[in-house]
Amino acid sequence: MKRLPFAAALLLAAPASLAAQAYPTTPPPPGPVRPLEFPAFRQETLPNGMQLVLIERHDAPVVSVSLALPGGASADPTGKEGLAQLTAQLLGKGAGARTAEQIAAASEGVGGTVSASADADYLAVQADFLAADAPLAFALVADLATRPTLPADELEIIRGSTLSLLQLQGSQPAFLAQKHLAARLYGDHPYARTPSPESVRGITRDDVAAFAAARLRPRGALLVVAGGLTWTRARELAEGAFGGWTGAPAPLPAAAAPAPRTGGPHIVLVHRPGSVQSNILAGNLAAGPADDARAAATVAVHVLGGGASGRLFTLLREQKGWTYGSYASLSRPLGTGTFQANAEVRTEVTDSAVAEMLAQLRRLRDERIGDEELGRAKDALVGGFPLGIITARQVAAQVLTGRMLGLPDEELRTRRTALAAVDPAAAQAAARAYVRPDEAVIVVVGDAPRVYEGLRRIAPVQVVDADGRPMSADDLAPKQPGARLDAAALVPFSDSSAVLLGGNAAGWSRTSLERTADGFRFVEETQIGGAIQQRTEVLLAADGTPRSATQRGSVQGQEARIDLAYAAGRVTGTAVTPGTEGPKTAAVDAPVPAEVVDENLLSAALRTLPLAPGSQHTLSVFSSSANAVQTRTFRVTAAERVTVPAGSFDVLRVESAGGPAPVTYYVTADAPRRLVKLDALGGQLQVVLAR
Amino acid sequence: MTRCAPLAVCALLANAAPGAAQEPAPVRMESFALENGLRVVLAPGHASQTIAVDVAYAVGSRDEQPGRTGFAHLFEHMMFQGSAHVAKGDHFGLVGRNGGQTNGFTTEDRTEYFSVLPSNRLALGLWLEADRMRSLAVTDENFRNQRQAVQEELRMRVQNQPYVDGVAAAAYGSVDSAACYPYSHRTGGSMEDLDRAETAEAQAFFRQYYVPNNATLVVTGDFDPAEARRLVHAWFSDIPRGPAPPPAQACTPRFNTGGPLRHVHDPRAPLPLVLHAYPVPAYAERDFPPIALLASVLGQGSSSRLNRSLVRGSRSAAGTIAMIGGASSGATGRMSPRRGPQVLLVGAVANQGVSPDSVHAQLRAEMERIAREGVTDEELRKARSTHRAEAITGRQHPLFMAEDIQIATLFLGSPQAVNTDLARFQAVTADDVRRAAAQYLRAENALAQVISSQPAP
Repeated sequence: MKRLPFAAALLLAAPASLAAQAYPTTPPPPGPVRPLEFPAFRQETLPNGMQLVLIERHDAPVVSVSLALPGGASADPTGKEGLAQLTAQLLGKGAGARTAEQIAAASEGVGGTVSASADADYLAVQADFLAADAPLAFALVADLATRPTLPADELEIIRGSTLSLLQLQGSQPAFLAQKHLAARLYGDHPYARTPSPESVRGITRDDVAAFAAARLRPRGALLVVAGGLTWTRARELAEGAFGGWTGAPAPLPAAAAPAPRTGGPHIVLVHRPGSVQSNILAGNLAAGPADDARAAATVAVHVLGGGASGRLFTLLREQKGWTYGSYASLSRPLGTGTFQANAEVRTEVTDSAVAEMLAQLRRLRDERIGDEELGRAKDALVGGFPLGIITARQVAAQVLTGRMLGLPDEELRTRRTALAAVDPAAAQAAARAYVRPDEAVIVVVGDAPRVYEGLRRIAPVQVVDADGRPMSADDLAPKQPGARLDAAALVPFSDSSAVLLGGNAAGWSRTSLERTADGFRFVEETQIGGAIQQRTEVLLAADGTPRSATQRGSVQGQEARIDLAYAAGRVTGTAVTPGTEGPKTAAVDAPVPAEVVDENLLSAALRTLPLAPGSQHTLSVFSSSANAVQTRTFRVTAAERVTVPAGSFDVLRVESAGGPAPVTYYVTADAPRRLVKLDALGGQLQVVLAR
Repeated sequence: MTRCAPLAVCALLANAAPGAAQEPAPVRMESFALENGLRVVLAPGHASQTIAVDVAYAVGSRDEQPGRTGFAHLFEHMMFQGSAHVAKGDHFGLVGRNGGQTNGFTTEDRTEYFSVLPSNRLALGLWLEADRMRSLAVTDENFRNQRQAVQEELRMRVQNQPYVDGVAAAAYGSVDSAACYPYSHRTGGSMEDLDRAETAEAQAFFRQYYVPNNATLVVTGDFDPAEARRLVHAWFSDIPRGPAPPPAQACTPRFNTGGPLRHVHDPRAPLPLVLHAYPVPAYAERDFPPIALLASVLGQGSSSRLNRSLVRGSRSAAGTIAMIGGASSGATGRMSPRRGPQVLLVGAVANQGVSPDSVHAQLRAEMERIAREGVTDEELRKARSTHRAEAITGRQHPLFMAEDIQIATLFLGSPQAVNTDLARFQAVTADDVRRAAAQYLRAENALAQVISSQPAP
């Protein structure tokens, strides 16, 4: 063999790894992508029309059994929204020979779980057990789906917790935004509807039984099993558990596809008084799940708003500092889907953020995405796919979702290649098909008077309250919303009331109004336990305009102090309010309209309004804790009779909105009006007239 | 063969059959230390095409000095602020762009950093950890910026949330701070202490604790151990060993227990939460597994004692809990063990119209009953099954596997203990539970507290 030159010999002799051992100064490149082996699955339609799919995996001795039945929340009859959800929850509360407690004991006894849920398009019963307990997993899923007992008392427990949850959700701006967007985009389509307290209260056990009977049928149902079972065993267990189950579900109500709105973006401003942030959610209708451009659209939307590298995040958070996060996504129900982009921003920059988001939506359509940016988005999506199929349960969920959306099984195997194949032209074409600012609805949940003018310059704005009721521009213009206090209706009074917490007596409150030489003096004294003591005094001129408000007191040992002076269209002073980190002192200085009412005077001011069943009134209220004028609305929702320690009274029920929390007042129907009762915090705090 | 009538009983009998119990497959691993003291554990498993890279530093809030609380957690944030070859903020970006997920979390005893990545990104995951271990950028600007971020996090996660502050008050307040400072203050620290934190201290903290000889690197999932070994040697072995970290501060288990129901005011709490806190032994101690199973009997699942008695029975409570309380893992959401004394928290949220005193009395009755009578065989079997099933189910995921190995290493002394830890719990007998319950769950040991938006009566 010929001798090599010395340098070449040295090079050849050096271990191949030497170059790699030098410490890299840039991120090491990814290794080669191995073909993704989406776990193989086998399937068969059982004689009763139910389809069985098994993804056999023996890497861990677990089994995940999921049964899906077509028809979910979108099959709720109008006015019974929430029926599918309540039905699903009730399935696990009594089935076959087991009570709710026995179902829990049987599953938890072996460390397993079983539950049922309602998606928009299907119901699902899900069990996760160790593989040795597979027979129990099948038996429980079958019991829940085929032999539910739907106990009436359990329905009431579920109804109670559902109502509490709705109450909580109603206070969350992100939930409100999503609800209003769905309502606007989907119009008459069932996807537009969400449960309300009224619809949930109206659901009877008969409704649930009828829904269960119509939907829980094997024809068209899908049983997906993933984990350590052989095909023979899975088939045997499925036949044993579901063999006697027969029938077809009732046909699903037909729903016409929702029509996209046209004519440019359009803003729905949901008034959330005192909100310090605006929750922005822009969206438009988009293609259904089986669309050919799905992969390209997924990549384009990832460029726009996929995580911390997306354009929206980079711009709105990293460059502008307006928000904690801003993202974009595609929803994928069985029917027409949506494109959505969101951000929660400081109130002051609401209009700028909406304008910037719209500009970014247009840019995605108008400009071709650069190769590097597109490559990064594809890397993230292609690379991230294996993270979604780690556990047996995740694998089962992928198969189940694809099937229920009517996608070919191939989609799971080819998803990564389809994503990797997206080029700039395909991404742009998909962006134009999926991101449609001219058909967009932009929901903004925030303090409407503070953002209305700015938003109006961007697109037409419709203002609604949290329940979707239209509000007029007058409701928002801080200069003229409130009724002027009718001084002639200010009648001196002196009331004593008891304060109840959770139904138990906890303290007392005394209020009085008296004439002074040149106007009125309102005094309220409150004591709750040893913890809250407070005296408030509001002075009014003879025409009812406020002159001053003072408050002295302590809450849990912390000082509470308010000193406000009203003069020349302004309120000035200081407010010391208790907080978890000790008292907070705030300087007050704000313009106020002539008809302003001090917040502390509300219980007296209410008596001067021309209340009548069905009437609605507004007051411009200065709140020192919000340091702003708020529009409070008062609606008379019922006439009824209530009994309190002072006696029985015919009252008008007045529900207020626009303050920090809703309050219900009960005011005598006849003059001179008295405040008989007050409910706050969902009835946890009550003030009842004692004498 | 006898027929068994009620289905539930049949199911239980069927599952109690000998041989039905399953143990998780033993975790095969190799473990070695580099010359600089870095402990490395490689535990491959190829069920998915993902890997987890997980580095735990043996430092946590227990190492903080009075007046310097919150420091360990603040430092965790600094670890994402860039290093010699990774720009500020790019740690998240690089992992995200490669289809992965990454984060860190701080507990009393450890600070842990993890990434889950597609398996062809092993090199990236290892390099990101190596780069910050060797060259973290502890600059003044980064430090001030992160101090603010941590304070925002405290506001968002603690001060702006119902109950969180009050639960921490019970979990940490029950440990006597003079006898055991390490476990008597919160991992999140206090705003005032954070205000006082200085950049120079952060730099000193890094030199003292973020050294290879105070860290364990665990790699799990779908990778080739030879490749991992090669990269670890290439990228970690020239990081200099640091001085040995200072010994842990002393902790004499002494508790602020007993006394009447304490009131904690929380204006955000929609309903009152009644909590009882009991001092219980450290994770490695013999009495811990019985106490952990007892907590499961009390509070896990809808067939648990507290749920049956207070939620479904008397309908006094909207929900109940029983947990060994303190900091939790940001990777898996599970409660994190401690090397020192731990605290069992049991509690119930009072339903509307139910007085906290009544809930307090019912909780106390349940605790007295379990301390007096222990648990039934059936309850114990349920708790053991649940513990085993959770371990088996969890370990499908490389991240849970990595965390189990870190826990075995730090709390039981060796990574191999991951293969014997489960047996400690499976071996617990009803007598063990009775003995531990009688010793630790005495009413006079409990600190009882109500968290409520209502003022004290």
